[in-house]
Amino acid sequence: MNFPINSSPHVLPITSVPIIMRHVLYALIPSTIVYVWYFGFGIFINMLIASIAALISEAIMLRIRNRPIKPSLADGSAIVTAILIAFSIPPLAPWWLPVLGASSAIVLAKHLYGGIGANIFNPAMVGYAILLLSFPVQMTHWIPPQIENLGFQNIDLWSTVLYSVTGSLPSNLNLDAITQATPLDIVKGGLKNGISINELRSGPLFSQLGGYGWEWINIFTAFGGVYLLYKGIIRWHIPVSLLTSITIFAALFYLYDPNQNLSPSFHLLSGATVLGAFFIATDPVSAAATNQGRLIYGASIGALTYAIRTWGGYPDGLAFAVLLMNLMVPLIDRFTTPKIYGQQQ
Amino acid sequence: MLKYPLFQSFYGGVHLESHKNTSNHKQIARDFLPSRLIIPMNQQFGSDAIPSVKVGQLIQKGEVIGKPAEKNTTAVHASCSGRVGAIEKHPVPTAGKVSTSTCVIIETNDENNIAAQKPPLFKNHLDKLTAINHAGIVGLGGAAFPTAEKLNRKSSHCEMLILNGAECEPYISCDDLLMQEHATEVLRGALAMMEIVGAELTVVVIEKDKPKAIEAISNAIETIGSKCIRLTDIPTMYPTGGERQLVEALTGKEVPSGKYPIDVGCICQNVGTAYALDCFFQLGEPLINRIVTVTGQGVKNPQNVAVPIGAPIVELIKFCGGYDGEVSQLILGGNMMGYTVDTDQLPVTKSTNCIITTKKATTPKPFEIWPCIRCGECIPVCPVRLLPQQILKAYENKNFEELGKLGLSECIECGCCDVVCPSHIPLVENFRKAKHLRMQEIKSSELSNAAQKRYELKTQRLSSQHANTEKLHADLKESIKESSKNDMIKAAVERSKKRRDKK
Amino acid sequence: MSDIKTLIVDGLWTKNPALIQLLGICPLLAITTTLVNGLALGIATTVVLICTNSIVSLIRHTLLPSVRILIFVMIISSLVTTIDLLTNAFFHELHGVLGLFIPLIITNCTILAQAESVASRNSIGKSIISGGSAGLGFTAVLLVLGGFREIIGRGSLFSGIDMILGDSATDSFIKFPFDGALVAILPPGAFFGLAILIALRNLFIPTATIEQRLETNISESHG
Repeated sequence: MNFPINSSPHVLPITSVPIIMRHVLYALIPSTIVYVWYFGFGIFINMLIASIAALISEAIMLRIRNRPIKPSLADGSAIVTAILIAFSIPPLAPWWLPVLGASSAIVLAKHLYGGIGANIFNPAMVGYAILLLSFPVQMTHWIPPQIENLGFQNIDLWSTVLYSVTGSLPSNLNLDAITQATPLDIVKGGLKNGISINELRSGPLFSQLGGYGWEWINIFTAFGGVYLLYKGIIRWHIPVSLLTSITIFAALFYLYDPNQNLSPSFHLLSGATVLGAFFIATDPVSAAATNQGRLIYGASIGALTYAIRTWGGYPDGLAFAVLLMNLMVPLIDRFTTPKIYGQQQ
Repeated sequence: MLKYPLFQSFYGGVHLESHKNTSNHKQIARDFLPSRLIIPMNQQFGSDAIPSVKVGQLIQKGEVIGKPAEKNTTAVHASCSGRVGAIEKHPVPTAGKVSTSTCVIIETNDENNIAAQKPPLFKNHLDKLTAINHAGIVGLGGAAFPTAEKLNRKSSHCEMLILNGAECEPYISCDDLLMQEHATEVLRGALAMMEIVGAELTVVVIEKDKPKAIEAISNAIETIGSKCIRLTDIPTMYPTGGERQLVEALTGKEVPSGKYPIDVGCICQNVGTAYALDCFFQLGEPLINRIVTVTGQGVKNPQNVAVPIGAPIVELIKFCGGYDGEVSQLILGGNMMGYTVDTDQLPVTKSTNCIITTKKATTPKPFEIWPCIRCGECIPVCPVRLLPQQILKAYENKNFEELGKLGLSECIECGCCDVVCPSHIPLVENFRKAKHLRMQEIKSSELSNAAQKRYELKTQRLSSQHANTEKLHADLKESIKESSKNDMIKAAVERSKKRRDKK
Repeated sequence: MSDIKTLIVDGLWTKNPALIQLLGICPLLAITTTLVNGLALGIATTVVLICTNSIVSLIRHTLLPSVRILIFVMIISSLVTTIDLLTNAFFHELHGVLGLFIPLIITNCTILAQAESVASRNSIGKSIISGGSAGLGFTAVLLVLGGFREIIGRGSLFSGIDMILGDSATDSFIKFPFDGALVAILPPGAFFGLAILIALRNLFIPTATIEQRLETNISESHG
């Protein structure tokens, strides 16, 4: 009898890249539901468009690079990138915005650097940064929470689709009338004009903890993050250090002058803080590899995010903080190499 | 007395599906008698034994058939009575692969009495160690290092004898069953070892998933009443059973790279070895049997069997009810660090602790392998604290200097990184190739360095020779010139003299 | 004759200062936000190159090797100052746009490299041809990159042409039916653009070949 020869270990791995990506997508479900509750179905349209664009650009790039197309398309990483981009663009957006975001993420950030596993930068954040730098107007046309009694004009699904496809709204709606800046935007602009935090936060977009609606999106995103932690898809180091460092900085400045600085809860529960902590900064390819390195990486992202939000030119700094720290990863990895067993150092 | 807290911590490792209950619910079968034995001469670490019997000779169980070639290696004994059928080259499983070795083939007969032997008496310590070598006792954990060699460490002080019953690899249950059925013998063997090495403490280490063995050993400790034997149960975690990992787990000390546990005051011995030593000291029986776990989905009656060394695997499988349907793989050892063999015509050797027959594929299909996504899962599980993902990258770039810096040579090939890798990269396989390539590279660079040195020496020598010759030539020329000048002057003087004389 | 042809081909392609030698990258990246800006800087650089090369070539026999760089820089800076003043006088708006980058031509390595490796060793004719072709090669890259960034970043082409041609040309630029992605005009766009151009060049002359050529050049010059 003849048996095949294989190399040890003779055991199947316990997980796989597609399984990880699938769990990441599951973990985004709660925040998506809350997102739809507050901001309407626009995010679904963006997700759909971005996913299609991401898959097509992935296939084209794989073809150009002479790589097998099927396994890489099936691993789901392109979809995760696309979904994260859909989260970061306004629900009311023309179709080419998610298309450009997703395709530039896949082409520029992923495949020009050598495909999955070789990208230095987080693809979703590169896509978002390119969109934000290129189309500042479209990227800040956010609609207010679609809840009755807030005094905003609501927008239905049909109008959203129409706007996405044609770039124009039904005649009874006016783009400038139905869109607002995000809470972080308003705070940034208001502080520049000498308005105090208290005055700013009395506006209708604000609630007790943060921006109206945003707080719940962030909290439900955190539930998804806890699911990922529970499933062992991510480790606690990056989210915990990121959130802790942003809280510490916010608390310090808030205690110093609560009228000029936002409260820690506002920083935690607005913008992309929680999404970034659990889903973006934890992207393994572009994050630090060792646990110690991840603590440094996460804490630095938190500090940079706070710095950019407070003193920088853009309302939310998480994307830029992640991209900047992506650059530092090789250095962090180098200085956090664990001591090898039995080797004196 | 007790210097160490008994369990400290253990870095890395993974929880694996144990599969031990496939084979650990039955008693050890002791009535297996193969019709033929293939006894290899290369069963121990070090040089091969030399066959000391002739073809056709009748031999008795326990008789020496292979004499140690060197002082520090072990002898080989007949595991059953019978007639020597042949002495020939035969494929034999050795240290992770199948190679050929001289084997004594014995056609067994029913007359299965052990050669008359009695408990040995020793004149002195050295005598005892030589006797252990002559009884063919080697480490039964897998490496088959001569036990006497390991116990003979007079230069460094041994504080603690670690009796390894951790058995962390999935499927294997031979040590578990041995401890359940022969706890007293095992401990007696350990006490004998302690006496030889002069240790103060023996710690029996058993993983928590073997409650029966733990009970048996703790009962036996009470019965023996020795205060210097302690039992420690450690969490079930692969690969705690590794020698270096155990030392770290128990003492918190690390065995320095390239050294042995004795250098930090510990000696690790397998429970099976302790049992074999006890059999020798009590009955005078050399190492001719070992317990082998025959398990996996592909065999009808998985169980532990006391197997005469040299029994063909095919007969052992038949004894366990034969194959159950189509078998996809035959693995010797555990499924983590064991190796596959292509045929069942091989003999069981002293280091064969387990035979696994699998039915399903155990390696990921090639199209299910993705590029490394740097998830870092392999880093916290590596018991040696390496960075598998970076080693892989350095190997792909053929950066041998980086491979050295990253500690490739420290990799124990435990396979933890393979198990957790979501990209299904065969890391250990790659690291094995990388080690091989790196050794070649080092060798060739040494060769080229040597050649360079030789060349430099040669040019130096040649140039100094050249300079010497040049100088010699110049001197000669000079002297010739001088002398010829003198001669010419002389001749001229002569000529002028003659001319003057003529006038 | 073939000598002159190689000189021209070298400057325009095989030894193109921007794409192959990667010299003068700073103004190249900073100025090419529109095609017209690129064109203006290209012309200025070319003029400086030709003038420097001819002057250096004329005085090459009287140059002291120890102070040659100093003298090159002095020649270049006086020329650049002249051009700076001239643009300020005749194309005032353009001068406002190009601003700092005209004085910065002094530090453009292409010019110094030409002075050192060509003009100080060759006749005036050859030096002028070499300088001119290198300048044109540089200008070509500026045009391509500027055009590329302008189309993507603003959705237009030739905008600001009136700064060169006068007010009559105010509306004579092309406007595409989209607004463009601002990022192409911002610094990242410059890097992406240059990277794409170099990648395209790589299709014709692989970087490995260039490195090999450099090595042989070095060993030749050492030999």
